Amino acid sequence: MNQPQRLLQSYLMRHKWSYLLSLLSILCAQIVQVQYPNLLGRYTDLLQRHKVTALVTLHYSLWLLLVGLGYVILFGIGQFRNGQLGRRFEFEMRDALFKHWETLSTAYFRRRSIGDLLNHAMSDVQTVREIMSMGLNQMTTAVSLLGSALVMTLTTISVRLTLYAIIPLLLVPVIILVIGPRIRKASRKVQEGLSDMAELTEESLSAIRLIKATANENIEASRFQKRVDTILHRQVSMIRLFALFQAVFPFVESLAFCIVLLYGGYMAIHGNIQLGGFVAFTLYLGMLVQPLQQIGFVINNWQRASASMTRLSILMSEMPDIVDPELPLSIDKIQGDIRVDIPRYQYADGIVPVLEDVSFSIDKGHTLGIVGRTGSGKTTLVNLLPRIFDPPAGSVFIDGHDVRSLRLEVLRDGIAYVPQDGFLFSDTVRENIGFSVENATLEDIEQAAKDACVYDDVVDFTDGFETLIGERGVALSGGQKQRTSIARAFLKDAPILIMDDSLSAVDMNTEKRIIEHIRHVREGKTTLIIAHRLSAVRHADLIIVLDKGKIVEQGTHDELLKQGGIYADMFKLQQEGEGVVV
Amino acid sequence: MMADVSAPKSSDQLSVRSLVHLARFAVPFTWHFLGVVALVIVFNTTSVLQPYLVKLAIDNDIASKSFHGLEVIAVVYVSIVIIGALANYTQVVLLQYAGQSIIQRIRMALFRHIESQSMAFFDKNAIGRLVTNVSNDTETVSQFFTQFFLSVVRDGLSVVMVIFAMFRLNAGVAWQCMVIVPVIFIISFAFRKRLRVSYQTARTRLSSVVAFLAENLAGIRIIQIFHQERRQANAFLTLNDRHRQANVKSYMTSVMFNRSLDFLGNVSVAAIVYVGGLRVLHGAMEFGTLYAFISYIRQFFQPINALTQQWNNLQSSSVSADRIGRVLAVEPLVTDNKDLVNSLSDEEVRGAVEFQDVCFSYKPGEPVLTDISFRVRPGEFVGFVGPTGAGKSSIMALLTRFYDPVSGVILLDGEDIKSFLQTDLHRHIGIVQQEMFLFTGSVKDNIRLFRDDISDETVVESAKVVGAHEMIMRLPRGYETHLVGKGSNLSTGERQLLGFARIVALNPKVLILDEATANLDSQTESLVQKGLTAVAKNRTTLVIAHRLSTIRHADMIYVLSKGRIVERGNHEELVSAQGLYADLYQKSGIEFEMEQTAHP
Ligand SMILES: Nc1ncnc2c1ncn2[C@@H]1O[C@H](COP(=O)(O)OP(=O)(O)OP(=O)(O)O)[C@@H](O)[C@H]1O
Ligand SMILES: Nc1ncnc2c1ncn2[C@@H]1O[C@H](COP(=O)(O)OP(=O)(O)OP(=O)(O)O)[C@@H](O)[C@H]1O
Ligand SMILES: [Mg+2]
Ligand SMILES: [Mg+2]
Repeated sequence: MNQPQRLLQSYLMRHKWSYLLSLLSILCAQIVQVQYPNLLGRYTDLLQRHKVTALVTLHYSLWLLLVGLGYVILFGIGQFRNGQLGRRFEFEMRDALFKHWETLSTAYFRRRSIGDLLNHAMSDVQTVREIMSMGLNQMTTAVSLLGSALVMTLTTISVRLTLYAIIPLLLVPVIILVIGPRIRKASRKVQEGLSDMAELTEESLSAIRLIKATANENIEASRFQKRVDTILHRQVSMIRLFALFQAVFPFVESLAFCIVLLYGGYMAIHGNIQLGGFVAFTLYLGMLVQPLQQIGFVINNWQRASASMTRLSILMSEMPDIVDPELPLSIDKIQGDIRVDIPRYQYADGIVPVLEDVSFSIDKGHTLGIVGRTGSGKTTLVNLLPRIFDPPAGSVFIDGHDVRSLRLEVLRDGIAYVPQDGFLFSDTVRENIGFSVENATLEDIEQAAKDACVYDDVVDFTDGFETLIGERGVALSGGQKQRTSIARAFLKDAPILIMDDSLSAVDMNTEKRIIEHIRHVREGKTTLIIAHRLSAVRHADLIIVLDKGKIVEQGTHDELLKQGGIYADMFKLQQEGEGVVV
Repeated sequence: MMADVSAPKSSDQLSVRSLVHLARFAVPFTWHFLGVVALVIVFNTTSVLQPYLVKLAIDNDIASKSFHGLEVIAVVYVSIVIIGALANYTQVVLLQYAGQSIIQRIRMALFRHIESQSMAFFDKNAIGRLVTNVSNDTETVSQFFTQFFLSVVRDGLSVVMVIFAMFRLNAGVAWQCMVIVPVIFIISFAFRKRLRVSYQTARTRLSSVVAFLAENLAGIRIIQIFHQERRQANAFLTLNDRHRQANVKSYMTSVMFNRSLDFLGNVSVAAIVYVGGLRVLHGAMEFGTLYAFISYIRQFFQPINALTQQWNNLQSSSVSADRIGRVLAVEPLVTDNKDLVNSLSDEEVRGAVEFQDVCFSYKPGEPVLTDISFRVRPGEFVGFVGPTGAGKSSIMALLTRFYDPVSGVILLDGEDIKSFLQTDLHRHIGIVQQEMFLFTGSVKDNIRLFRDDISDETVVESAKVVGAHEMIMRLPRGYETHLVGKGSNLSTGERQLLGFARIVALNPKVLILDEATANLDSQTESLVQKGLTAVAKNRTTLVIAHRLSTIRHADMIYVLSKGRIVERGNHEELVSAQGLYADLYQKSGIEFEMEQTAHP
């Protein structure tokens, strides 16, 4: 059983009384409504027999008024309740989606574009909601109207006339069966086309600086045009089916009407039915066909909704792959001893191992420096600690425990991380720094900003800490962005701090000051620093040099210099251009 | 000032006007729309004939007991219906085709318009919102041209036809029926404002939901690392719930509105039975006529109801049209000056760059650059250094015309850069930034940016020049490897290398490197730099770097501080000047300890 359908079912079950109530009131509304032709037919017969007085006329009009009022109130209540329930479903579904997404790992999000995910949460959920409220409204209305109208014609007019008249109506289910699945397919195609376009738009606008700087606007526009044209073509095929659907129903109605005209007229001429009966029947016929048409539309929409439902169910059935262990260790806080012993690590979609025979250990309170060429696996290595990607079992230990045996909450609470691309939210500076700790005080935030050397920049802004930094921090300079995300990690003050190339966008002066602060505030806590500039790792208790996924050298700065290997070469290369050793 | 297009306007200003404004996209489809009108008339006529045929049947054939007459009526009826069905089919296809084509055009226009904006626009407008504009709002607007238009034509026509039929039948009774019309207006008017306000609230809250989702999905890793899932989920819950409440309220209003009109319809039927019944009683009217009037009144309310249902559509499409309109109304701050076009060919450009007294600020009152003047000769290698936030990147943003300066001029080969077409300018001046953008697609397409005029050989050649070839060949499918989700299957430095390969393939005359090598190790960096100089000997290169080794050999180094150029000269001159540069230089030693200066 797939997820959303289960969600849908459990939702319906939980709200079954509410639904019953609204369905009942719609049903009653229809029962009341079918009294219309009945009343009018009876009145006609009285008129024909010249039994009508002014009082009788008044009597009938008042009845009609009452029926009208009853119908409007009952139907209004049912319709509103259904709509309300549909909105609640939408709300719950989106909430479930968001919570679900929060449990999925980075590996999952790498494969999906945000535009596509958004399309699921917004338009697919909406389609399902529509079928739940509007579809349900129309379906109940239609079925109850159909039922009551049939009962009325069968009991009050003529069984035979009714049976003859509904013969053409039997075509309706046939049509639905033939066209329905095709509409579903066409509609899925359209949805995919839309997702595709949204994806491209998002990507292009994110890369707008690049596009402009390379005068690539036209190329981009023509890529966009291709997507838009595809949508148009797919829409047109769907429209054809739709139009067929829509044109066929009035046609069927008319066939039925012809039968009534001929056969009913025949019966009326021969006195088998009253003229009033004939009149009422022509009115009932509308009530028979209209609901059929509506049922057709609902089924049609159902096809589209089920396409959306499938998309949602695929999404919801995605299992979080990085989860709490089944039997987590009962540890509430980690200390910061790290031991790594990775024989081999390879990405799921990679063809070569990214890490091989990587083993080292650092004690609580020490600093580890990681250097190495581009693509040597530094980021990969540190990502295994907070389980952004899962390390092989028994290869990464904190305080002697395999990270995979700790509760995720405990593990991640114990690690502060400055990612290589520090993502910022389009909020204020204060909110961004305070993100890591709920209800952080302004003093704490200011202290973190001072430690990250971004305080002076921030107070220079007109709005200070309340400055809005724009989407992903566009209104900040490169170095300000980086230091804001450093401050965010500092605020967390966790036993382990990871800084992935996080000083690359600041000047030497600032780098030195930040390193100094780190040494001060991280006293007694574990720190991992990845850097290309050796000045950032020089003071580390242990430096490891990675090359093509292997540790090729390790030791302290001085030891490594003496070894005269890769590290020493790097040193020479950088030193050549930098200041003299003081 | 730049308009923030996401800010909601006061509700009354927002009007159908924006829809009318978008109507220009519908103009090419005038014939389609006229065709639709004609077909609707055909279809409507066929349906209006129905009560009339029954009336004929009742008053003539059944009364006179002529079955033959019924047959004739039936045959006429069937043929009319076939015509009606055909008309209906054609009309749906025609109209929807027009509607979809209009969306297509609006989308294209919108996309191009957004592309033509300067960076100030993107500073203010969240991408998530712009995407919604392009994908959803266009869709909603098209409902105006399809459903709403159709409803106005079809239902409006029905109303007119029904009224006409009623007057033909019995003008006296028909006049009495017309009492309904003002009542309908009064009801609609009473609901108008409430409907609009509640709809707009719902729409605004929807935007917040979308924006929140878009951003949090992008930053989900940060949420997980910092373990803030619960907090963000709660924040989402609040937004989501507010959106739900607004919708329920808006729905309530529209249900009440529609049911009120429904009730009015029922009252009218009761009234016509009373009034008409009395007339029949007094012999002033035939019974068939009363029947026809009753069905007409009901037929009258069907289109009226349909029209009022469309009211919601009108609301949503005018709100969407307004959102689109506000984007389209933003004039790009940086534009091409068509009068003085300077079209130097690629060969003619020498690559001299000059800034004359340039001042700039992102926000009024917060100057970022003050009196920046410098001159770079063709083929020179120039470095820019300075503390973070000094304004280095901003200088380059001006040179590439991402923004225009507040005052002062910037010259390329002695000509104001404003006199170049932006596309030409961007062909001459290339930039590599620290932040790398990758597209979904193959490595090859990412290097040549989907251009057809860059051959596979050039792509490979460029990759080799910057030393990216080896790394690319290590990927599962080499140059055909599909890059996913903004290139996250590459390391940051590898992504940077692709950026360099890109710029080599494009080969601009002036090259800006804005901390482009910050994520590279020193060896890779020197490889890249050698490669870059090897392919273009006479290229002018402007380099921003925090690693002084990167720019040590520059012909000229400019030192920036707080938006001003405070020092200039080559490395040796600057070091001996004992200023800010010398200080930076001194502290940049790998083994330099901060304590040594911390306590002077
Ligand atoms: N789009 C923007 N909107 C508003 N302010 C901005 C914007 N971009 C930059 N700023 C501000 O302008 C100032 C200069 O920024 P700029 O990016 O030019 O600095 P930079 O010298 O390149 O610094 P870094 O070395 O950190 O990259 C900073 O204070 C920054 O906050
Ligand atoms: N998600 C992924 N799937 C497949 N391969 C990946 C993925 N992420 C990285 N790689 C590959 O793994 C290797 C190591 O990448 P990693 O990001 O760890 O390098 P790095 O040492 O951090 O480099 P840099 O200094 O450039 O940041 C690279 O060759 C990269 O192409
Ligand atoms: Mg990395
Ligand atoms: Mg910068």
